[in-house]
Amino acid sequence: MSEDEENSPQPQPQPLAQPQPIAAAPQLPIPTTPQPVQPVQPVQPVQQMQPVQPVQQIQPVQPVQQIHQVATDDVQMATAETPVTGQGRMDTAWGSSEGDEDISEMASIGQTDSGEIFKQNYEPWRGELNPRWMRNWAILRHHILGIFKKGHRPWGVPTRIFLVLVFFASLSDAALTLLSSLIGDSEFHSMWGVNRDNLYGHVLGFFPRNVMYYPIVAALLVGGVISEDRLHGTSALYFSRPINRFDYIGMKYASVAFIQAIIIILTLFLYYLTEIMVYGRGWAWIVDTFPIFLGALMGGILLIITYTSIGLALSSVSKGKFFPGIGLLAIILGTKTLAIIVKNLFDREILYLLSPYDCLAHVGQTLVRTQPTYDQYSWTWSLASLIVMNAIALYVLSSRVSSMEVTRE
Amino acid sequence: MMSPPKKDNVFRALDRKLGAVTEFTMRQYRTKLSTWVILGVGFIAISIVVLFYVDSMQQEIEAIDNDGDSADWDGDGYPTGQERIYGTDPENPESHPGTFTPPIAPDAPEKWINEDDFDWDLAASGDTTAGYDDDGDCRLADSTQSQKDNNRNNIECDIILDYDEMRGEWSEPNSDRLVDEDPDEEKYAKEAIHRAFLLAIGKMGFVFLLGIFLPLFLATGLIREEMDNSTIHFMLAKPIARRDIFLGRIVGYLGIVWPYIIAMGAIVGIISGFAGPGESLFRFADLGMWMAIIFATMLATLVYGMLFCALGTLWKRGIILALPFAAWELGMAILSFNAPTSSILRFSVIGWSLNIIDAASLVVWPNMALFISMGMWGGGYGGGGYGGGGRWDNSLEGAGALSAFASDTGLGISPIATIVVSTLVLLFQAAILWLVGSAIFKGKEIE
Amino acid sequence: MMPDLQQVGEGETQQWAPNITAPVVLLENVSKSYGKIHALSEITLALSGGVTGILGSNGAGKSTLFNLLMGKLKPSSGSIKLFGTDPWKNPAPYARVGFVPEHEKMHDWMTAHGFVSLFARLNGLTREEAKSEADRVLNFVGLTDVAHKQLGRYSKGMRQRVKIAHALVNDPELIVLDEPLQGCDPLARTTIMNVIRELGKMGRTVLVSSHILHEIERITEQIVILHNGRLLALGNLHTIREKMDNIPHTISIGCENPKELAKDIINNDAVYGISFPSGDRLQIQTHNLNAVHRELPALIVANGHKVSSIDNPDDDLESILKYLTGGLAR
Repeated sequence: MSEDEENSPQPQPQPLAQPQPIAAAPQLPIPTTPQPVQPVQPVQPVQQMQPVQPVQQIQPVQPVQQIHQVATDDVQMATAETPVTGQGRMDTAWGSSEGDEDISEMASIGQTDSGEIFKQNYEPWRGELNPRWMRNWAILRHHILGIFKKGHRPWGVPTRIFLVLVFFASLSDAALTLLSSLIGDSEFHSMWGVNRDNLYGHVLGFFPRNVMYYPIVAALLVGGVISEDRLHGTSALYFSRPINRFDYIGMKYASVAFIQAIIIILTLFLYYLTEIMVYGRGWAWIVDTFPIFLGALMGGILLIITYTSIGLALSSVSKGKFFPGIGLLAIILGTKTLAIIVKNLFDREILYLLSPYDCLAHVGQTLVRTQPTYDQYSWTWSLASLIVMNAIALYVLSSRVSSMEVTRE
Repeated sequence: MMSPPKKDNVFRALDRKLGAVTEFTMRQYRTKLSTWVILGVGFIAISIVVLFYVDSMQQEIEAIDNDGDSADWDGDGYPTGQERIYGTDPENPESHPGTFTPPIAPDAPEKWINEDDFDWDLAASGDTTAGYDDDGDCRLADSTQSQKDNNRNNIECDIILDYDEMRGEWSEPNSDRLVDEDPDEEKYAKEAIHRAFLLAIGKMGFVFLLGIFLPLFLATGLIREEMDNSTIHFMLAKPIARRDIFLGRIVGYLGIVWPYIIAMGAIVGIISGFAGPGESLFRFADLGMWMAIIFATMLATLVYGMLFCALGTLWKRGIILALPFAAWELGMAILSFNAPTSSILRFSVIGWSLNIIDAASLVVWPNMALFISMGMWGGGYGGGGYGGGGRWDNSLEGAGALSAFASDTGLGISPIATIVVSTLVLLFQAAILWLVGSAIFKGKEIE
Repeated sequence: MMPDLQQVGEGETQQWAPNITAPVVLLENVSKSYGKIHALSEITLALSGGVTGILGSNGAGKSTLFNLLMGKLKPSSGSIKLFGTDPWKNPAPYARVGFVPEHEKMHDWMTAHGFVSLFARLNGLTREEAKSEADRVLNFVGLTDVAHKQLGRYSKGMRQRVKIAHALVNDPELIVLDEPLQGCDPLARTTIMNVIRELGKMGRTVLVSSHILHEIERITEQIVILHNGRLLALGNLHTIREKMDNIPHTISIGCENPKELAKDIINNDAVYGISFPSGDRLQIQTHNLNAVHRELPALIVANGHKVSSIDNPDDDLESILKYLTGGLAR
């Protein structure tokens, strides 16, 4: 028996038809009658089936009445005559800013002229919706933990490796401070220890941090954050739940900003702390340098905000995974290159206003009070330009996300 | 089966498989928003720089009296330069040409600013002396022969210009005193800035920015996007070799990019021809430079297009590989500015493209190196003016920028030969990349 | 190395003459594995002429088989021949092949006519020829009136028809359709099935794959059954059924007086079971379908029973597949 089964798929062409010699010029017959249009008669087939008997066994009336009685409790419910509307469901989904109302709706039972409407028994969910901050925290956690844990948003392996590398590279000045205390060289310390220029340089120095590390970190993080939702239609996972579109962007923004903050701001803290601990700095020193530290901190925060805004705006415009990142790099480095060319050729610095990095650097220099390297115009112009850039980016982002259709576009 | 082909000529033949792929690619580009965004951004970026250029060409550059002889030191109303010519004592208020018979009217001070411009036309290649003392404060001065011949070449009031063959550059001009010491800043600066602009926008703007970013965004997805969308199956299930599909896609991409480059180059070339300095209305000589820039950019986009398309075909994340490559090319570009003869440049694409532009600049402006050295010398007193600051940097405005952007070809052969060789190398690179890319494509298993 | 300027078949696609005596599709011991996953194991198949249905559940290897045929994948072992030529790295045989891929993504900005005529030019047709051929095939699938609308606006069934049209434009001898009826509305489904049957009648070799059994049944009787990458059965639907002697066949007879008929049949050796599902139906279980079918009519007529219907309710693909896959030890 078993042999039979194994022998049955034999490659014998016997059951197959003989190969027909192909005619010289076979013409595909032009169908004169519209063959595909078969007159469909939907009515009769229904009669041939006998669905009646099973349906009669269901007695839907009584359960409905039971629900009615329950409905008179504190929970707001639509009465039997009010039909379920899409508007109602939409309001449930994203109209409410508190989001804690327990709105349940019920299917209506009704008879219309054109036939029987199937009776739907909808059991309302009687649980408690958890607070909005908890839902948002879930989104944030999903994105952030994905960097190093399985089961959360899978950031690509090159991204993770690069983030780790940049984290350690950003700690280089803390490490050098440590080293300078170990070897006890005061010149070395004055070069690498905490001082005005170094605090500024940690956050906004051009080479190597703002050429190689921070823009690429931003580009890698920002790459697929919104665009992959647009590509695969997975935004439905968010919007079919009680999550606002604002919360959606907000938490994605916060997660990207947080990861960047770990790399930029946390390392700044560690640098400052290293100096304090290793050199045993007292309160007097801390009081002296803290304003500078705060200035650098604010500069770093501005940097993160600007890069994240522009990056997410690009991510919401594109569907690819790499275009937003490369676009961000092109904007940051390209405008800087253009501005440098113009400065070298024509000695005009006005083009720096178009370059996000230079605006940030100018404002940062003012915050930290280091030597300004942009002397043709005041820092308020740079700040204004930054605000405009962020505003445009956030406007693009919000309009794209609010008009995003919850399907695969 | 099919009716026999009628009147098969070259165009009909090409119009079939390969031509169909090309036409399809071009039409596809037209429908994509990203194409227009990228072309638009390139246009805006170049336009901004052009606007700055036009603005600076309209600006007036301050005329500086480098040698200070327009000042009236003794207060007698006669500029020092004039007093020197007539042999009166510039520091004695009593002594001035007004005391001559007939009395000579005092010159306006402006006459003594920029009065002794460069006269450095080295007609024959063996010449080593140049310079003419226009204002006569060397020739007509009442001084000895040895005082007039500081550089000891037995020619009075001249400048020795020495080309160092070994280092391939002009050494510091050795001038007799007061020869060509008060050059016309505006004339020099405008010419220098114009040339620097052409070189900068040609090399960095066109070849580097356009030449890398256009293929990066437009060519990487040529095959890869079709593979990801599964629409490539329609092309693959036809009796057309994959090598021809690859080529057809690239030619379609070139059909969008090359006209764009030609148009942009023509527009900027015409604008710079009109706005550039010089007596004539339009600088026709610069057209050679623009043709070279357009040509170099076209070749660069061809080679990069092949490369990025091959990278995209190879790997889904191929665009990541393109980034370190772009960084390498940037490094090579900077190297070509600073050290054009280094042989590492042979291993890049941009080195060869920049060679074409540099070679063209030597043909169009044969006196480039001398011109730069002129500006860096600045008349000896330079931009600071007599007794002014900048003792260590006497260069005229624009000379620094020009020396930054201009460079030698580094191949050691004549400019025309450099252009020919570079073109051949670039075409060869493109052909190799085509073969490599199509081999990758041919061996690729596509679900 | 130079591109093929003549574009009529030299260079990469050598002057190619199909081997007329070879079967259109020939697979010999073909296996394809991705690491540990064996997508296809030792498939040997020869097909020529007529419509053949390739049947299998999802993951059985149908798409892999088609991709191997179309030169998109390389077999890990074994050889594939299309018209006697290996299609891997050689697109020459595709001049005689039309392929309808499974995915539905097309270039939405093109019109149907533009799409079909442009890809027709990839077969070597000139612009004018391509246009007229496009008109002809779009007419054949019934899309003439919407031929100049953009593909983005087409329904799924219309898209499938466009794909089929584009595959037919070069009058191919082999037409391969990967899940052509997937997701189609009933009207489109009927049209496509008609088209496939027409093509089969004209003598072309048509390969249709599906995992929906009754679709294949309505198109063809020649089937190939794949399961888990292996070839389970191949041949005529009914012949396969017959060969499986150890499944009990059921014959359902509708008549006025089933109990009376049962008394007469029960002595037949081939019958081993009789049941009465309802008051006017009789079901016979037998191992020997042919014998029963031979003797039953004589029995009925001789005893004067009034019989309204005789059918084989389990002579269908479903039960075959169930039997074939359920019966194998996993």
